Amino acid sequence: MNLLPFFKWCDATAIGEFIRQSTVIFPIVEVVHLFGLTVLLGTLTIIDLRILGIGMRRQSIPTVVSNLGPLTVWAGIVTIVTGILLFLSEALKCYDNNAFPWKMWLVLAGLLLYLLFQRRMTKGAQIGSAQMKIVAVLSLVFWYGVALAGRAIAFI
Amino acid sequence: MSIQSICQAIQESNIGMGLRESPILWPCIEATHVLSLALSVGTIAIVDLRLIGWVMKDEPVTDVIEQTQPWTLTGFGLAFISGALLFWSEAFRVYPSWSFRLKMACIPLLGLNALLFHNTIYKSVDKWNRSRVTPSRARFAGWFGLIFWAVVIFCGRWTAYNLQ
Repeated sequence: MNLLPFFKWCDATAIGEFIRQSTVIFPIVEVVHLFGLTVLLGTLTIIDLRILGIGMRRQSIPTVVSNLGPLTVWAGIVTIVTGILLFLSEALKCYDNNAFPWKMWLVLAGLLLYLLFQRRMTKGAQIGSAQMKIVAVLSLVFWYGVALAGRAIAFI
Repeated sequence: MSIQSICQAIQESNIGMGLRESPILWPCIEATHVLSLALSVGTIAIVDLRLIGWVMKDEPVTDVIEQTQPWTLTGFGLAFISGALLFWSEAFRVYPSWSFRLKMACIPLLGLNALLFHNTIYKSVDKWNRSRVTPSRARFAGWFGLIFWAVVIFCGRWTAYNLQ
């Protein structure tokens, strides 16, 4: 499947054009992207470490998840929305970049992991199960991997 | 010797040049800086948001602070070391940047904020540990942390855009 027409279309959108033309908007969107990523990784780390039994043990898993989970989700939404804006402004650059597909696969993996498993696991019988711990490790790997691949876009 | 010439000497040292010219090391240090920054500031944000009463309102303040601290410090240590190495490699280049200077001014202020918090209002935490609404001085420390860490991240990213 050739995705080039899609990337070209993204690159030519009015939003992409608008962001690209300004010298200020791109960095600002990028800073907000970083804010979102910071809160996303910080809260996600504490949640996953709690599930692994390494961090915040004085609180139960459901307590940690119900308190910090919404923050993770909101931070995730901010990061993804700003990420889409950044992408639109340089879609063709991303098309030629070797790190970009890695980042997208990792985002997809992280999102699927969350939607299919994590969301259900934090309540009920599965608390503390080995499966849940594996999911926590994968979640840490995927999302830190996203940040790493994101940074790599600038270098590769 | 002016600060500028010190920065120049740092950047032109063997280590500074070696770091800057390494095609692998430099991106690795940069990546470490971003990831560890997210870990430290992300966990600091949890504490600050507890202090201003936005998250974990029903959990004791000491639980939130004590249990996030090891991760915050790990992240901060890594961010500090990687940041120092990045500075080493381009001290002269970043020295004139206003955003870099602002960042360097904000970090000690944030340290001072944490120090003041721990040595004043936090000493009496037993009285308000379980309060959903913390004392105003604790809320102030929380807001200060959130705003100035955001400024630090903003300035860090911005520095890449205002270099000659």
